[in-house]
Amino acid sequence: MTLADQLSTYLGRLWGHPVQVLDLTRIPGGASRETYRFDVDVDGERKGLILRRDPVGSLIDTDRRLEFLAVQSFYGRGVPAPEPVALEMAETELERPFFIMGRIDGGKAASPFTVDAYGVHAATIGEQFFSSLGIIAKADPVGLPISDVAEMPELSACWSKELDYWANVIETDQLHPQPIVWAAIRKLRRNPPPPAQKISVVHGDYRTGNFLHDGEGKIIAILDWEMAHLGDPMEDLGWAIDPLWGHYDPEKVAGMLTRTEALKLWEQTSGLKVDEQALDWWSLFNAVKGQAIWTSSAREYRDSGGKDPVLALSGWYTARRHDKIIADRLASLEGWA
Amino acid sequence: MTPTAAEVLMGNFMALVEPAPQESVGDYMASRISVIGMNSLLASQETEMGAAVRVWENEAISAVLSKAGAPLAASTEDLSITALDALNAKLRLALIVVHEAVEAKGDATLDREILTLYQAMADRRMLVLPVMPGS
Repeated sequence: MTLADQLSTYLGRLWGHPVQVLDLTRIPGGASRETYRFDVDVDGERKGLILRRDPVGSLIDTDRRLEFLAVQSFYGRGVPAPEPVALEMAETELERPFFIMGRIDGGKAASPFTVDAYGVHAATIGEQFFSSLGIIAKADPVGLPISDVAEMPELSACWSKELDYWANVIETDQLHPQPIVWAAIRKLRRNPPPPAQKISVVHGDYRTGNFLHDGEGKIIAILDWEMAHLGDPMEDLGWAIDPLWGHYDPEKVAGMLTRTEALKLWEQTSGLKVDEQALDWWSLFNAVKGQAIWTSSAREYRDSGGKDPVLALSGWYTARRHDKIIADRLASLEGWA
Repeated sequence: MTPTAAEVLMGNFMALVEPAPQESVGDYMASRISVIGMNSLLASQETEMGAAVRVWENEAISAVLSKAGAPLAASTEDLSITALDALNAKLRLALIVVHEAVEAKGDATLDREILTLYQAMADRRMLVLPVMPGS
């Protein structure tokens, strides 16, 4: 039975109608899930959908229920999140857990490793990018679907929860000693940030390349919510402006706006203030988090027999860039113990 | 550490040798081949510089360890990547221990020297992708 047949059977059972799956095609991106685009024909009505299925091996060990509920939390709430359609946690027709979302056509995602990715639309896209992040930060997670399953940390414990988690990932997955990232982890522990101003939904991977734009300056979908959780909203901000995602342009963050412009937009929409001391901490933390993800990539690449070239690129090129980012940041920190 | 050039080149072969399922041809396969191409390009850089970088790094770490009173030799007659990496792992582990001790002691001078070494290590290990314009 083909994957299309399996999907037809599942959706037919779910909706109680015969469903024809058409034009099923795997698409690139989303290294933590297998991602497919397809159409369904139900009683002559055709609709475009996206399937996100757990892979055998994954870049990031994430909970697809959290991802689904995060998307559900912001669909129709001022952030261009795709429509959540179905979540299946059991190993049913598709053999592994998966979920299905509405497809948003006509968009493209930039590769983070290109220059001038947004051309003349960079500023316009940047305004939407940082404003949407502000809207996510402003939302009260209580009452949002993600709160059904996501742990609500104390304001003062957001940093240690995240740092402990990612340090443990490095400890578990490192194949070779990494003195640079361990120096950063010790530095972060000795110099904790101020408590979070509020608990927010943290997208977890909010960056260039993880949204679709229409080529005319409009963001039409915010994607890749697989690392969503509740925590300090500064975490997402630090990740979004990490130099790795800067499209090699040191004058702009995310290849879109100046740092000052970006932070101002975020402040306006979130209603929060950027505490530079906190952002310094979360910026270094995010480089550590990145290194943890790339460390897992390298481990998975080796353990899976080297079949996924994306894992190699992540565990190799991006890992070395983040080592450089961390080393430069460690050397430039002032006033840290 | 990151994969070796040999592992990546073997991986490139493994990624191409199995026929793709029907639903994975098209955009997905085009993207996959593009990434394989990038990995091959990076492997060419790593093949050229890999041994030299490891020899340099091992000697640089060994020098700092000596200065910290925890000497560990960096010399080896086996210049294969495998042997150099094995030695590098020992030296890096020792460096982590020494750096922790330096921090605990508050030795700002040696701490600064180690942080400078980290920058040099990261610099020399950098791989470079060609300039690729956005679409």
